[in-house]
Amino acid sequence: MDTTKLEMFDDVESHVEGEMVLPGQTNTQQIGQPDFNTLDEPIRVTIMRDLKAVGIKFAHVLFPKEKKTLLKEWDLWGPLLLCTFMAMILQGSNDASNLGDGGPQFAEVFVIVWIGSMIVTLNSKLLGGNISFFQSVCVLGYCLLPTTIALIICRIILLANQSNMLFFIRFAVSMAGFFWATYASMVFLGDSQKPNRKLLAVYPIGLFYFIISWLVISHTT
Amino acid sequence: MTNLQEVPTDELLSFHDYPSVHNSESPQKSAQINVNVNNANRQSDNGGGGDMGANTAESAMKSFWTVEYYQQFFDIDTQDVIDRIIASVTPKRDNSLKHHLRHKPDLYGPIWISITLIFTIAISGNVANYLQNANTNIHWKYDFHLVSYAATAIFMYVTLIPFTLWGLLKWSSDVNDLEGLESNVTPGALELICIYGYSLFIYIPVSILWSIQISMLQWGLVLVATFISGSVLLFTLLPALRLSRHKLFLIAGIILCHLILAAGFKMYFFHSPPNIKVHVPIENVIHTTIKSIVVPSNNTTG
Repeated sequence: MDTTKLEMFDDVESHVEGEMVLPGQTNTQQIGQPDFNTLDEPIRVTIMRDLKAVGIKFAHVLFPKEKKTLLKEWDLWGPLLLCTFMAMILQGSNDASNLGDGGPQFAEVFVIVWIGSMIVTLNSKLLGGNISFFQSVCVLGYCLLPTTIALIICRIILLANQSNMLFFIRFAVSMAGFFWATYASMVFLGDSQKPNRKLLAVYPIGLFYFIISWLVISHTT
Repeated sequence: MTNLQEVPTDELLSFHDYPSVHNSESPQKSAQINVNVNNANRQSDNGGGGDMGANTAESAMKSFWTVEYYQQFFDIDTQDVIDRIIASVTPKRDNSLKHHLRHKPDLYGPIWISITLIFTIAISGNVANYLQNANTNIHWKYDFHLVSYAATAIFMYVTLIPFTLWGLLKWSSDVNDLEGLESNVTPGALELICIYGYSLFIYIPVSILWSIQISMLQWGLVLVATFISGSVLLFTLLPALRLSRHKLFLIAGIILCHLILAAGFKMYFFHSPPNIKVHVPIENVIHTTIKSIVVPSNNTTG
């Protein structure tokens, strides 16, 4: 059957026919391959693959050793997940009974994270760093992971009855998140600046994570 | 890694080399002289002041909408920023801040000092508020929205005042005066923004200290901070102010604005009337009594 087809359409387009006859080889192929095809695979595989890529980047942030993955294949899914999660937890309730609890609104956390990371990126661009805009936004977003973990721990601590000791633990946890995030982003972004301007680029990054850590520590029920 | 400094000089070099290419095609005496003149210009540029010439030439080429156009305002090293910050808190008659700024006013310092100040004030304002309520039984909650108030105040101060001052200096300076012949005595708007931005630096440590709840100490800090950074401002602006017809008015205005800013910070973010804790329960009591009066009457009518 194949051979007859090929003979029939040989003068028209032999190439297309030849490929369409082969089913079911695509799923096992790697992303980088030229004939990689996601049309046939189940949607679960697609989502799991993307989630796995995000998870691998999270691991790289937590143990900042290898920087190729985060810088080369940047995406904004991880930052979006982290930012949405933090904004959901951090938003203040707007009950009329206690006149609001003074916390930021959902959109305010969102704006601080995104506009903040964009301003920090723009700053390093203006200082003459050689890194692309979205690479830097991606790294800054992924490096929110330690502060997000600190937020989760603080949220769990808040369930217990409050005391000064617990406040001190929350303080220590969020400071650890702050230093961790700053260190990780310095590992990824530190090389993009000239040595005599490194501090100028690092300071805004530190400020950015410090503000978010402040939101984390200030969040109370 | 390509350095920022190297790119413009490369471009300049190629730009200056164009005449020599023409010369090689048509060797003429007059053209040869032109090349020499160009080279001499470039060497003198590199010799004295160097970067200024390169920067102006570069900014003339860049479009307003590109990142490269704004890079000239951030063309600054860590050591420069540290020097400028130190100069902004040490009032001296020889106004070293002016010498630092005259070459290249930057926007890095003003922007990041302002942003730092906004969050420092918001954070330590919250700490102050917490300390005020520490001994009471009120369930204290932080107020995130101090950030927006502080941001509004500081950004207004650091942009509107320099522009106003720039306009007033332009309008009121006597150009016919002998000293006015020095054309670059009057600072530009960018330079004024830079000076004002750096002059805010002292409020960062001061606003942390403001969270200590001792009224005398707070007011003392207001005065000291205003005195230090205000005198730096005045020393820096003095050559330009001297040319103005209304110099006393302008000096008073500058100091007054600075004092109002500091006092405003202290009053709004760090100050609470001492008997506020008495007021809150009373209000609550009134609310509950009003409710208890209103609700039954509603019930009886409905």
